[in-house]
Amino acid sequence: MEELKKTIDIISNLAILIRTSQVHDINNVAVVNLIERVTGLINNFFRDEKILQIDLVGEFFYANDTRLKYSIEHLLNFDFLSRELKKRNIGTVVFKEKLEAQDIKIFLKAFLSAGFSKDPLKTMLDFLKDLKTITVDKLKRVKEDEAIDMRKVVKKTYFNAVSFSKGIMNKIKAKEAVNIKKAKRIVESMVDLILEEEQLFIGMTVIKDYDEYTYHHSVNVSVLAIALGQRLGLSKKALNELGLAALFHDMGKVEVPLEILNKPTAFTEDEWLIMRKHPQWGVKALLTLKAPDPVLVRSAIVAFEHHLNYNYSGYPKVRTRHEQDLYSRIVTIADQYDAMTSSRVYSRVPLPPDKALSILIDRSGTQVDPLLLKFFINMVGVYPIGSMVLLNTNELGIVYQSNPAFPDRPRIRIIMDSSGKRTDTTVDLTEKDPEGRFIRSIIKTLDYTKYKINLAEYLM
Amino acid sequence: MSEITPIKDFLQMLLKTKKLIRMYPENNPMYIKAINDMYEKFEEVFQDIGNDIVLHIRQYEILHDDKQVYYNPEKTDNLALFFFKDGIRELKFFKGINKEELEGFLKIISLDEKELIDDDIVTLLWEKDFQYIRYVVDESVLTEDEDYELRATQQVLEETSSPDDLLRAYRDAMDAEGVKATQIMPLAETDLKALMQEFEKDSEPKLKKLVHIISEIIYQEYNNKKELEEIIPAIRSVLEYSIKIADFESAIEILKIVKVAAEDKEIPGDIKVLLKKIIEFGGSQTVIKTLGEVIDRVEVEEGPIREYIQQLDRNAITPLIEILGELKNMRARKVIIDSLAILGRRDMQSLVKGLSDERWYVVRNIVYILRLIGDKRAMEYLLKTIRHPDMRVRREVIKTLGEIKAPQAVSTLRDHLNDPDPQIRIATVRALGGIHTEAAKRLLLQRINTKDFLQRGLEEKKEYFEVLSSWKDEEVIEFLVKTLKKNALFNRAKNFENRACAAYALGLIGSKEHLKILKKYADSGNPVFREHVRNAIIRLEASHGRT
Repeated sequence: MEELKKTIDIISNLAILIRTSQVHDINNVAVVNLIERVTGLINNFFRDEKILQIDLVGEFFYANDTRLKYSIEHLLNFDFLSRELKKRNIGTVVFKEKLEAQDIKIFLKAFLSAGFSKDPLKTMLDFLKDLKTITVDKLKRVKEDEAIDMRKVVKKTYFNAVSFSKGIMNKIKAKEAVNIKKAKRIVESMVDLILEEEQLFIGMTVIKDYDEYTYHHSVNVSVLAIALGQRLGLSKKALNELGLAALFHDMGKVEVPLEILNKPTAFTEDEWLIMRKHPQWGVKALLTLKAPDPVLVRSAIVAFEHHLNYNYSGYPKVRTRHEQDLYSRIVTIADQYDAMTSSRVYSRVPLPPDKALSILIDRSGTQVDPLLLKFFINMVGVYPIGSMVLLNTNELGIVYQSNPAFPDRPRIRIIMDSSGKRTDTTVDLTEKDPEGRFIRSIIKTLDYTKYKINLAEYLM
Repeated sequence: MSEITPIKDFLQMLLKTKKLIRMYPENNPMYIKAINDMYEKFEEVFQDIGNDIVLHIRQYEILHDDKQVYYNPEKTDNLALFFFKDGIRELKFFKGINKEELEGFLKIISLDEKELIDDDIVTLLWEKDFQYIRYVVDESVLTEDEDYELRATQQVLEETSSPDDLLRAYRDAMDAEGVKATQIMPLAETDLKALMQEFEKDSEPKLKKLVHIISEIIYQEYNNKKELEEIIPAIRSVLEYSIKIADFESAIEILKIVKVAAEDKEIPGDIKVLLKKIIEFGGSQTVIKTLGEVIDRVEVEEGPIREYIQQLDRNAITPLIEILGELKNMRARKVIIDSLAILGRRDMQSLVKGLSDERWYVVRNIVYILRLIGDKRAMEYLLKTIRHPDMRVRREVIKTLGEIKAPQAVSTLRDHLNDPDPQIRIATVRALGGIHTEAAKRLLLQRINTKDFLQRGLEEKKEYFEVLSSWKDEEVIEFLVKTLKKNALFNRAKNFENRACAAYALGLIGSKEHLKILKKYADSGNPVFREHVRNAIIRLEASHGRT
């Protein structure tokens, strides 16, 4: 545990050092002091270990093969370092014993120079070639076949959750006992996979099944809420609680008569009155599911509050305004986003993800929490998964995977080539040509809902 | 030595440690030693077999390197089955494991079935997120419907994208407006600070929030009997849960909300009946039993417990009496007694039923509660209890009769002046003093004048005289002076004791005029008499000055 704290401290200070040296000269006293500090921290680490290998894999840092879980105060520093490493295509930095301040200074010079280089990794390797105490290696990309295998696992977990969600709602309707332990286990699997493969899992939420909307929606909201919770820095246990609360948020709908739930036309005033009761029916359903525990209490709160809106303009109308629960505000965003991007009985044509996002931005501070929305937008990216885009190469594609380091450069599944013929390849918009120019860039976003295009074909 | 022997020893030690952990509290030296010993065992095994210990879990056996290291065919207390039933198929311990993780792991495996109602072993291990303990789980136990994924995939892929539409989309794209990407929102320090504040607020308990929600629901449905009927089980379960987790403030809040609603003029009568049922539930045997278990086990502030009980209806009295006999914690018993003294005022009939309890200490508690209530209507029940077989109960009853000043009790108390137990006799004398009627005084004077009285112990006799001195009337003073002066030919030592008691009583009465006569005996040859006389003189001179 002590080692983990030490490494978190080292990475945090390394990020501060790099940021400071981008503003000040390398001989500035502030930079020199920070070099001394980082050197000291690393050498202190070497009292128990011989080597410190920092790896950046996806969005996560690993120190000597152990994933680092850091608290919110380190978030900015870790994010900054992650971006800077990715810019330079560096995925590994290894520090070895007998490290001196001069070595860190050389590393820093190399790092800064690489930032302006067409081939940053080569620049860094050239700088460090005579240095025995620090080495770097390139950013490892997840191999295509590994990604496919992982996609299978994610898909299995996703559909298992949907199947469970369907089962649980049917059981509640039939007043049968519900296995909460199992629900917890399912959400645990989701949390694990979201921590490792956030983008793959978010991709699954784009798959919409009109006939099974309610069950898919519950799982999608749970996935989006967990992913947002992760961005906020919630612990694994808290993510599990949040995921469960999100999974159960619409539990009250089991009481809404099917003829209303499946009504294809606009609701009458009376039907709205019934529909608007589902939050309180959710409380009732959850609290009679089993003897309460902290998870159930939280879930009941979320079930009641998820349509309240940030400014209490939603429903149910309350006599006294108590501050809304953090999880309720997270679920509200996830719920609205998934509902808007889904084809529902009363709104057959879904909104494209980018449009849904811009509507959420319009609702910031009124219907949704502005702070949480900021994190959400950064999570789903400038071009959310499922967005249809035209590239400068005249290729038409679907956003397949976001890239947090380069929000405007996601991975794209090309569906039409530059001559307008059907194709199926995946490209990464961060790829550059030998001159260091990006090969492809997005020039337009399009509304896929206007056409008969099944996103599941490309994202599953 | 075979390679499996250290693992077998290790597992035996694990089982032993598990038992010790279950048996002793965390601060007990045995508990601490068990953890330390297990930790040393881990170090030893890592030295013997390498950097990790890998255990393969089967239903009734555990394997290491394909060799059986544990076997138990039983269904209970079976380490293999304990892991297997929740889907764990492999357990791996890594070198470097620290005591903190080890203790966390041991605590989990020491839980019994009752403690695993809400979470299974996998969830508990998962929540701990151990760095040096890993496990492999068979997730197939989670699959609800084997074919769902296949069916669902087929379903969502049923409608393939239309080639014409794709072409149309492509053509439209050429003419579409330029890119309108959502702008990324960089996070500032202020955002992180705001988030930290959110986390701080989020750490507060959530039950109070749920109670507010319940209040909202009650008011939204105040004229809807069906809705309220359906929500009542939920409210009851929250009420019980708040007691279970010792959140008495939330429980009080629920009862207050329900009471206010039940008294609201706008709420129809039949709904009021439903609401009152919640208050009744708060005092039901189920909830009160839980309350007893909580306050016996956990250090809880007394104020909220009292307030909760005071909010209850009279139906709580019987269950409270029931738990009174079960509580081991003195402080908890006191809280229940004090609370019963308040509830009992509302329903004496329910309270006095406790006087028939088989447990003598419960009866004594009820008598004490009746004394706290101080209602003379309790007299008839107390008089029935005065012949209780247990001396401690009888004494409590007598004391209570005195304190509630029940004149009718004098004749009953008469018999107890002759009780074989001196403590009962003394209590009776004091009770008569408490009643303080003419009849009580007469009874005491009569007793002192009996031959038998002379033979009683000095302390008991002093009680009589002390109580008698509280009347301070002419008859008593005359009697005391007469006793002070009284010489005897026989039983002289015992007579001197009576005279000493009279001196003591005159001192207590505190009248200056008795100094003169007391001084006459200040140099008596009898040391007991002399001492009491001198003490009485000192007392009188202290309050009136020397003469």
